[in-house]
Amino acid sequence: MARTERPVSHRRRFLIGLALAALLGVGLGASLLAGSLAGERRARVEREAVVTLSALTAVVDRASGGSVTEAAPAEASSGSDNGFGLGDELAALDQPAATEPAEAQGETVRQAVARFAAEHPEVTAIRVFKLDGRQLEASTDPADQGDKAAPRTLVLEEKPLFDLGQKLRAAVEGNREGAEGAARAPEIAIERKPESLSLAAPLERDGQVIGMVQMDTRTRREAGAFSWGPFLAAWLAPVIVLLLLSLILGERRWVLLGAGAVLLVAALWGYGRYALGTLSAERRQSSQTVAAHVGEEAKKTEALLAGLGIPAGQPLEPTLWDMDEHRQSRGLLSSGLAVDEGRLGEMAGADAGRLTRSVATLALISLLLLGFVGLGWAARTGAALVEHRVAYAYVTPALLGMLTLVFFPFFYGVVLSFTNNSIYTTDKPVSEIWIGFQNYVDILTDFQVAKRTPEGLDWNYENFYYTLAFTIVWTVSNVVIGVSLGLALALILNLKGFALKPVYRVLLILPWAVPNYITALIFKGMFHRQFGVVNKILQLFGGPAIPWFDQPFTSFVAVLTTNAWLSFPFMMVMSLGALQSIPADLYEAARVDGATRWQQFRSITLPSLQPALVPAVILSVIWTFNMFNIIFLVSAGQPGGSTEILITRAYKLAFEQYRYGYAAAYSMIIFIILFAYGTWQNRVTKATEAIG
Amino acid sequence: MSKRSRIADEPRHWPLHLFVLFMVAVTLYPILFVVTIAFSGGQTLAIADVPPDATVWQQVRAVLPWPQHVSFENFRSLFADQPFGRWLFNSVLVAGLTTFLGVFLACTAAYAFSRFRFPGRRAGLMAFLVSQMFPGTLMLIPLFIILVQWLNLGSTYTGLVLLNTVTSIPFCVWMMKGYFDTIPKELEESALIDGASQATIFFRIVLPLAKPAVAVTALFSFMTGWNEYVQAATFMNREDMYTGPVGLRFFVAGFSQQWGYFAAGAIVAAIPVMVLFMFLQKYLVSGLTAGAVKG
Repeated sequence: MARTERPVSHRRRFLIGLALAALLGVGLGASLLAGSLAGERRARVEREAVVTLSALTAVVDRASGGSVTEAAPAEASSGSDNGFGLGDELAALDQPAATEPAEAQGETVRQAVARFAAEHPEVTAIRVFKLDGRQLEASTDPADQGDKAAPRTLVLEEKPLFDLGQKLRAAVEGNREGAEGAARAPEIAIERKPESLSLAAPLERDGQVIGMVQMDTRTRREAGAFSWGPFLAAWLAPVIVLLLLSLILGERRWVLLGAGAVLLVAALWGYGRYALGTLSAERRQSSQTVAAHVGEEAKKTEALLAGLGIPAGQPLEPTLWDMDEHRQSRGLLSSGLAVDEGRLGEMAGADAGRLTRSVATLALISLLLLGFVGLGWAARTGAALVEHRVAYAYVTPALLGMLTLVFFPFFYGVVLSFTNNSIYTTDKPVSEIWIGFQNYVDILTDFQVAKRTPEGLDWNYENFYYTLAFTIVWTVSNVVIGVSLGLALALILNLKGFALKPVYRVLLILPWAVPNYITALIFKGMFHRQFGVVNKILQLFGGPAIPWFDQPFTSFVAVLTTNAWLSFPFMMVMSLGALQSIPADLYEAARVDGATRWQQFRSITLPSLQPALVPAVILSVIWTFNMFNIIFLVSAGQPGGSTEILITRAYKLAFEQYRYGYAAAYSMIIFIILFAYGTWQNRVTKATEAIG
Repeated sequence: MSKRSRIADEPRHWPLHLFVLFMVAVTLYPILFVVTIAFSGGQTLAIADVPPDATVWQQVRAVLPWPQHVSFENFRSLFADQPFGRWLFNSVLVAGLTTFLGVFLACTAAYAFSRFRFPGRRAGLMAFLVSQMFPGTLMLIPLFIILVQWLNLGSTYTGLVLLNTVTSIPFCVWMMKGYFDTIPKELEESALIDGASQATIFFRIVLPLAKPAVAVTALFSFMTGWNEYVQAATFMNREDMYTGPVGLRFFVAGFSQQWGYFAAGAIVAAIPVMVLFMFLQKYLVSGLTAGAVKG
């Protein structure tokens, strides 16, 4: 206790707090910067490799007789970003294959590829193959010598290669048909290995993907040294300044807090400026390196084509060779193969925007830490931890488990809901795919529930409010059916002297014991249109065979029946328990007073049931609201998603459409609905408890 | 009580018997239906063929839940020709590990929540109760990205066990805390006076006392893991890593119509948990209502 009697030193706390906060903020900033620089260097190496690959593709294309006719006016002007990739451009200009026989053409390709490989020592292997006939046209792979030398058909072990070609073809065709702005599949495959890259591009003729050019290349690792100077300066300078200031300011804690905060933000801002400068310099260097590489490749290619006597035909477009994996020009090079300053400036602007956001986030986190330590909360938390160490020791294993398995994923889900994360963007950092409240706005402000058409209302089953309304109808009908059936059966089984009571009870509980996915699949089978037993029974009584899952209403009846079957036993057991706990003399007294059976039911049975039934209803509302298995396995939302409930819809958005961000937002809305319901029911239960 | 007054007061039993018998028939029919398909020896959904000009008897025969020929062929083939044994093994392993992890974590946490007053207790308890309320499906999206795309744990036991544990921990904590609350504190206080350490008290006194609750919680946790479908279906993409439920769905999903295998497999997978459930059902009811009333 002696320690607390000594007055605490605010100065010391704030100095420690600032040192820790600045270390955290600047340290995180430095690691982000290092990551960006390393990423930029990696990207530069990849860009160079893609340029080489583009040159190779152009060579192979011409050697195999493509692009030989006279050039039409080029549509894609240099440096434009309007979506004309190399493939489209070539496709538009290509003419039917040259008159040369295929044999000779193949020989030209092999010669061209061999010479290309000879001129590029860093390229370890080139493979060219045609999808049609699985023909390996050319290969400089050391393994493809002797009897394995090209041309030959691909062997079974090379199936991954063939599959890659198929994948690229699918990507090119899919992207061409796909809507503008839709997620695009990459058209250049890049496989990253520690010391090398393996790239593949589609080979096109007349707008059709006919083959693939694959190239393995060694990469040189460009190590960038981390500069400690700016880091140490940004970390220690504010601490030293605060130390000097505190000599003047003394022990005034709010002033100290303010000074510390200002110094911290200033240090982070300064480090941010430095990071931006470094990053821009790195980007400029990238562009210059790539530009030089493009120029070199263009010269080599022209020389190679001339050397082999291949007609150059349509001029090469080297400015388009610097392209991303969707084969869109990055537009960083102007026609003279110089760096486009305008685009570079735009990129620097985008960098600055991103950097400002990260610096703001870092500032927030480190300011919290400064306050936490400086205002003495850290000391208090530490004291609490020590005082309740036994309790915390018990909670720790579970808490660690909960933190990593429940709370962190939940938090990550919240973050996801603010992004447009999809299967194509999962490896991008959150800051790049952050779209704020867009998902929530898209979900909640779409009021197109139904359209009026001449045939009547045309429901939009994809709409959130439709699904919400359906979920509520589904929940309410189920609970009503469950409670009425359960209560009726419980009242009967509670009658004095009712024969065979225990037998009935066991038999009627059975549906509860059957795992619900099995129930769902059984009923799916029983509602089968052709072989299902339900239709057989209907036909037995002269009814028609109903295609249950073709109409929203019959589909609803089917899932409702399934869920009613499995849910009434729970209500029955709960009601039975409550009924048995009503003392018999209550009824005795009522009868003496001349109450009718109905009056007894109204004033004795129902009030006594309430404490047991209210929680049972609450539980069954939550269960039914979330009854994933029944909907998913019985109707699967058929027809057209009309019998989807919120939770199955969210699941399908995530795992059938792969819109993770959107689905996460959908899930958050469901969570908020459940949470609101939970809070409300909590109050209601408390109220009933108070009455009861 | 004279006979007259009873008739005036009590409702007649026989119409009620009719109603209850009808309900029993509705209840039993789907179960008997599965048994019928399972023992039919075929893969079709139909109990019997109905020719276009069927007689009334043939039509009735097609809905009677009793196989035309009793055959064990589906059960034999299920284990001999289909990888169902492997799937059941996967289910046992995943449900078992989930139960072990879930119950272990839940016991210590529930004990702390029950016995100690410490900063963060209320918030922690609320968090457990709230997370009990929302279904595992909601957590599936972030967990899927974390486990499959970051940690590369798709189609592994580790991944699915972690995923299932998330769902089981809150339920286990809820059940266990309710039980610890009923164990008198005096026992521990006297042990403390006798000089026992906190660990001794927990492992030697409290846990043995709570053995029945631990057993019931563990059994429920096991049953939940055993019957879990959606997480396993999302997570286990390789056919040899399917669990029982995923495998059963596989028999009848899409264009696959192997209803015989499904029915036989459903019986094998459901009988143990149904028996277990019938024994444990009253604990579940009391546990659920206790929790629900407490809120």
